[in-house]
Amino acid sequence: MAAAAREGGGASAASVAGRAGAGPGRAGPGGRLAPMAAAPEPHEPEKKPFKLLGILDVENIPCARESVLYGSLGSVVAGLGHFLVTSRIRRSCDVGVGGFILVTLGCWCHCRYNFAKQRIQERIAREGIKNKILYESTHLDPERKIKSNSS
Amino acid sequence: MAYPFQLGLQDASSPIMEELMNFHDHTLMIVFLISSLVLYLISLMLTTKLIHTSTMDAQEVETIWTILPAIILILIALPSLRILYMMDEINNPVLTVKTMGHQWYWSYEYTDYEDLCFDSYMIPTNELKPGELRLLEVDNRIILPMELPIRMLISSEDVLHSWAIPSLGLKTDAIPGRLNQATISSNRPGVFYGQCSEICGSNHSFMPIVLEMIPLKFFENWSTSMT
Repeated sequence: MAAAAREGGGASAASVAGRAGAGPGRAGPGGRLAPMAAAPEPHEPEKKPFKLLGILDVENIPCARESVLYGSLGSVVAGLGHFLVTSRIRRSCDVGVGGFILVTLGCWCHCRYNFAKQRIQERIAREGIKNKILYESTHLDPERKIKSNSS
Repeated sequence: MAYPFQLGLQDASSPIMEELMNFHDHTLMIVFLISSLVLYLISLMLTTKLIHTSTMDAQEVETIWTILPAIILILIALPSLRILYMMDEINNPVLTVKTMGHQWYWSYEYTDYEDLCFDSYMIPTNELKPGELRLLEVDNRIILPMELPIRMLISSEDVLHSWAIPSLGLKTDAIPGRLNQATISSNRPGVFYGQCSEICGSNHSFMPIVLEMIPLKFFENWSTSMT
């Protein structure tokens, strides 16, 4: 049973590469699978993403770029404003850094909250579309239930 | 799956992993802000007049650096606990698969309808076909239907192992004499790789896990052909 399973397991149905570009064979001219000495392995992206302090990927993390930019703006405004009022350089730098942290954190939390709400709405919409397609004209059709409740 | 020199998480293929990635981004932003603050404070230390030689107390700064970390910890803990409870939600799985860890391979049992059991050994490097992945391919993949919740019961026949698939956000210890449960739900079809994640002997690095998620129709054909 185990030996048969081992042989049968090699012919797995509809095997799809989980990552784009990782398929083992590609069709050559005439539609034949070209024999490959070594298929291209999944490789790291050609352009390395820019990471602030080496850790924060501002290009790919949603809301990161906006938060850091707004934080920088807030830092400059707060530091410069404090300096113009008090003419104290060191304290103004402290205010600038504090402003950067607070504004970045505030923008981040606000943006991520909206992002999470949007994701939930997308998920509901996706489920709704799937259910409509699946159950259209059946007794499970949600639109039929709404119409029967209203009539 | 992972690419060479990868530092970050793999792309998410399950709702839980998406939530974990969002939580990771959130925590990373907090870490970045704290690191910026510490970097600034260190730079301040480089220029100091060293005049406060008899400081007795500093009530204000002590209050700040007590309250602020507490707030930061709350900001981190609340999403973390939310995900923790989300991972344990009851979701009516349609299928139950048992996986047993052995030295040094995994065995899988689909016993809901018919008895289907097979072992999954790593394919040695000298037997790989062109294009296959070194130390990751197996002779028998575990094949499951996509977009459906599946219960995995994980245990071990000998020593501790751990059944892990990073792109689905799964890592569960396989403990002899104990049955651990995990729920798999994949958003999309594909092949997902993982490796044993608990030291279990000399070939601990050579017992990978390969999960193939396919549409239900193909899964039914496959399971019929296997029984």
